[in-house]
Amino acid sequence: MQIKNGKDFWAGLMFMGIGLGFMIVSRNYPMGTAVRMGPSYFPTVLGGILVTLGAIIFLRAFVSKIRHTIVVFPFRWTLIVAGGALGGVVYSAQSWFLAMGKIGALMTYGLYGLALFLFIGGFGPRPLFIILASVVAFGYLLKPLGLVLATAVLILVSAWGGNEFKLREVVVLYVALALFSVATFIYGLQLPFNIWPDLG
Amino acid sequence: MDQLVTNLGIGFGVALSIQNLLYCLLGVMLGTLIGVLPGIGPVATIAMLLPVTFTLSPISALIMLAGIYYGAQYGGSTTAILVNLPGESSSVVTCLDGYQMARQGRAGAALGMAAIASFIAGTFATFIIALFAPPLAEVALKFGPSEYFSLMVLGLIAAVVLAHGSLVKAIAMVILGLLLGLVGTDVNSGVARFNFGISELSDGIGFVSVAMGVFGFAEIIGNLEQKGEREVFVKRVANLLPTVQDFKDCAGTIVRGTLLGSALGILPGGGALLSSFAAYTLEKKVSKNSANFGKGAIQGVAAPESANNAGAQTSFIPLLTLGIPSNPVMALMIGAMMIQGIAPGPQVMTERPQLFWGMIASMWVGNLMLVVLNLPLIGMWIKLLTVPYRLLYPAIVLFMCIGVYSLQNSPFDVLQTAMFGIVGYVFVKLECEPAPLILGFILGPLMEENLRRAMLLSRGNPMTFVERPISATMLAISVFLLLIIIAPTVRKKREEAFVEE
Repeated sequence: MQIKNGKDFWAGLMFMGIGLGFMIVSRNYPMGTAVRMGPSYFPTVLGGILVTLGAIIFLRAFVSKIRHTIVVFPFRWTLIVAGGALGGVVYSAQSWFLAMGKIGALMTYGLYGLALFLFIGGFGPRPLFIILASVVAFGYLLKPLGLVLATAVLILVSAWGGNEFKLREVVVLYVALALFSVATFIYGLQLPFNIWPDLG
Repeated sequence: MDQLVTNLGIGFGVALSIQNLLYCLLGVMLGTLIGVLPGIGPVATIAMLLPVTFTLSPISALIMLAGIYYGAQYGGSTTAILVNLPGESSSVVTCLDGYQMARQGRAGAALGMAAIASFIAGTFATFIIALFAPPLAEVALKFGPSEYFSLMVLGLIAAVVLAHGSLVKAIAMVILGLLLGLVGTDVNSGVARFNFGISELSDGIGFVSVAMGVFGFAEIIGNLEQKGEREVFVKRVANLLPTVQDFKDCAGTIVRGTLLGSALGILPGGGALLSSFAAYTLEKKVSKNSANFGKGAIQGVAAPESANNAGAQTSFIPLLTLGIPSNPVMALMIGAMMIQGIAPGPQVMTERPQLFWGMIASMWVGNLMLVVLNLPLIGMWIKLLTVPYRLLYPAIVLFMCIGVYSLQNSPFDVLQTAMFGIVGYVFVKLECEPAPLILGFILGPLMEENLRRAMLLSRGNPMTFVERPISATMLAISVFLLLIIIAPTVRKKREEAFVEE
């Protein structure tokens, strides 16, 4: 057997995995009967359908007339393994971290984030993980750092994640966007954001 | 007829208030501004601008969103004509002749004709909605849970039929969407499902996060990945008004496009995309000028533009009367209505006539604004097209982030959106169309609820879905649709149609 359509191969695996996942998690909830359906009835049925469809797509990958290589994503095994390993280590050492109190909890979050970042970096193109990392950073930095500095992180990092990066141009862009955002979102739309770091 | 006049009177009373006129104007402007950007279609535009409307009253919010929709659609046509880059699939057809016209130095006439054809179609479609919505809503009030369930099945199947590429994958995406829609607290039992102990997920996955991640972020990353040069075709655009001869040539085309588009828009799963394809094909067959199609025939611009605008508008009918979205844009509108605390459905018309008729009237006003505004502003949109993408995308990303964050002032929503960005990227790579997923996501909880009620009423007898005539008819149509595309000849045609893109 030879895999002819790599895209179908991965899509089939994905749908089967997700369907199975939903069915397994559904087992925690009451099933009910056809007359009085419990919370697990509908998801279990849908999960079953999804597994079936996934299996059809998966099998089709071996007989398809459309050719796609199996390498749909740029796999970087080292990053995937590193991310997985880091996640595992943090998970097993969680109680140790939590014993340190609030700082420990923050550290676990940070390390989980790093593990996830490495893992995603393992199969995505550069813009995918750099831009999305800057997006997540923006979300979590907006409150403590304020809009002006969080925007700096977002714009500089996401622009750097693209294909061409010219520092001077990006700084000009940043200044313009920061002024515009403060004027529009904070003064104009009255969104409750901090402008500067919240030191209080 | 009297009723119609009174109703439209109420509507225009609402739509023409200074405040709502301003929001409509703002929506049309913002929509065009974002829609002009290459690679960003109406869905991404609406998802991005949705949070701007949250602080408004429901009626102003919906008026503004409708404005954004028309604006985005028109902006997409502008890009199609000038850059040969369709913002979304429904302007693909406009590219064919529009870009050729631009190369022959007739960009102005093409843009002008697109605006005028859209306006004429929009005016007609507004009347169609005002005429057909009330009787349909009355029928819908008689619907029980089994009818609703079957109707949703029909809507989802129709969405699948129109999705590009593999049928099985499209159905799988619908099911996946339904499942994702079920995440969160179950209304009947109060059990929090699939939240993995994350308290933020007990209200369900944020709809905006899914839409923005899958359509917005994934789109940007896809654009960055193709390093190809964008060939911006920008010459000075002069003579925006088409000539008298152009109008004579296009009169019949616009009428046919409008009628076809209005009819196709009402179908669940229909809307702008199907309409523009069908109108172009029809026109190519009937027109005296058919030899010139693809080489810059003005009818090739007028036909899809009138049809897609008519279709875009009449696709509001299933939304407003049945509460069922027929395409991803309407799914976003439902999301917006729910956020505003309005349960979409036939009761909206009787319970909130101001909102219902105000929105319909504002559609016409919005279309008028598009013509009046865009013809003089075209120079500005062209300038925008010359801004390099490396400067545009960080700004787009910033506005999306602020938008998502401001939903609930929660960093978790931003994280969620980023996750769906990754998911969306994987979908693109695996050739899984995300539009059916969004529809499924919206309909998931509704379907479960109606299925449960129907089964409870029938005491567990699944025959209820085929014993009730309306429900049975809708299921029969769904099966018929599925059979049609599985049939080998149509399958071949369908593949060809999508390859032509």
